[in-house]
Amino acid sequence: MIARALVVALLLLAAVVLETALFGALTLFGFRPDLLLLVTATIATRDGPLAGVRVGAVAGLLADLLVSSSPVGLGVLVYGVVGALVGWSRPYFAPTSVTAPLLLVAAASVLGTAGYGVLTSLLADQRIGAPLILQGAIAVGLYNTLLAPLVAVVVRRLSDAFPLRGAGVE
Amino acid sequence: MFQRRRARLLLALLVAAAIALVTIDFRSGEDGGLDRLRGVTTSVLRPIQDGVGVLVRPFSEGAGAIADLFAIRSQNRELRDRVAELEERRRVFDDLERENAELRALLSLADRTELETVAARVIALAPSNFEWTVTIDVGARDGVERGMPVVEGDGLVGRVIQVTPDASRVLLAIDPSFSAAARSARNGEVGLLDGRGGDPMVFRALDPAAQVEIGDAVTTSSYQGGVFPAGIPIGTVSQVTEGSSPLTREVQVNPYVDFTRLQHVLVVFSTGIDDIPPFEGSEGLEFRRPPVPPLLEPEEEPTTPGSGDGDDAGDEAGDEAGGEAGDGADAGDETGGGADAGEGEEPADQAAGAGQGEARGARAQAHPGHDPPIAAPGSQPPVTGT
Repeated sequence: MIARALVVALLLLAAVVLETALFGALTLFGFRPDLLLLVTATIATRDGPLAGVRVGAVAGLLADLLVSSSPVGLGVLVYGVVGALVGWSRPYFAPTSVTAPLLLVAAASVLGTAGYGVLTSLLADQRIGAPLILQGAIAVGLYNTLLAPLVAVVVRRLSDAFPLRGAGVE
Repeated sequence: MFQRRRARLLLALLVAAAIALVTIDFRSGEDGGLDRLRGVTTSVLRPIQDGVGVLVRPFSEGAGAIADLFAIRSQNRELRDRVAELEERRRVFDDLERENAELRALLSLADRTELETVAARVIALAPSNFEWTVTIDVGARDGVERGMPVVEGDGLVGRVIQVTPDASRVLLAIDPSFSAAARSARNGEVGLLDGRGGDPMVFRALDPAAQVEIGDAVTTSSYQGGVFPAGIPIGTVSQVTEGSSPLTREVQVNPYVDFTRLQHVLVVFSTGIDDIPPFEGSEGLEFRRPPVPPLLEPEEEPTTPGSGDGDDAGDEAGDEAGGEAGDGADAGDETGGGADAGEGEEPADQAAGAGQGEARGARAQAHPGHDPPIAAPGSQPPVTGT
């Protein structure tokens, strides 16, 4: 369990480093993919709501500590809720479906980005308007969906190598 | 089922913890514990981001270059036109430069000082899509302080908002929370420049009737002691909207800096220009109400020319001087006249002194030969001797 936690932490660290160092020049309509959100949604799709909430909380905290204008706690809230929602909706899709996880990730990315944008606008910077939030949510949703298969492969291998054990498993 | 219940409980705890964190962050301000934790996280991640950035930058630039191929053809045509236009301008510029130097010498203006800067490398961007910041590899040890402007070869980049010992975070000029005093380089129209979360930015000229045209360059201004040194290029006007606001004129500005390709920047140590006093030595002066002549003067006893003794006439003349010389000290003729009406011997300033207008009378005497003052409506005509 500790080994899995460490590996997930490393995965989140790699995601945030790639997002901040690599994707600056690779924007889609001026927006970068939200790899932390993508990893959270992918893990929740595979391992359920409990893992989704846990990973979402850590990913959100990491995001909060690397931004300056939004208050700490905003990312924790948004990413945690997204992880839980994706985990809860997982049983409603066919386990063998290929498109269902992609749709889930796309919806989670749009919802998470829009939610983060709205809360940032309300709590930190009121000049972030609805058009910008909508534009960002769509762009991040598209970008994350494009990258989802790649991240899904990594997460599947990780989950196979370090499976969830104990009471948290459904 | 068990996992669902636990997930619900954990989520409830998480929401409570998140709200508590947001509250603590709001209450602790800029130098609170959570802000220090942010600084520590930035410092810890800095070497990792730096190393990964060096490794992956060629890939990201290569991918970016492929994406640029589609735009290069049209961009090349635009640049050729631009070069031709700039060549034409350059010929005019030599003459303007000489003229500018002459005018500066005439006005004894000091040449614009060179900016004191420190070079920095851009390490990483913020993970949020709603915050346009970058982390740079210089910090407090290099003399960087919060609020310092950051520029690049092309123009304004932003300002420092967080400083750790060996790294700093810069709020980019395109961030919606960024604002700077700016002016049109062509005609000096001042206003505020705001980021909008990408290209273009918005320039709000304070004068709603400002003449701003497409292609005008916009630079920083030190208007009202702004943070940025004046004259840093920001961008060019790309769109002018008519009647966007009754109080200001809004235009869109395309920045010179490509914020997706930032690699090296300069942190400017020079602070904004202080408010300049209106004139030399005016710092300690107090405001004094200027002497204003009354519109209506009190009714006075009609004076017959030549009647009464000289003292009375002198008093009246002094009053006249006191009342009317105040605004322009032009009552020399009047006071002199009044004195003459009395004894013909009294000097004008004595008469004025008798009328409690000594100083004014003296000033009046100091400007002999001025035009007679304009009498206030309803005032008595000056007393003159015959």
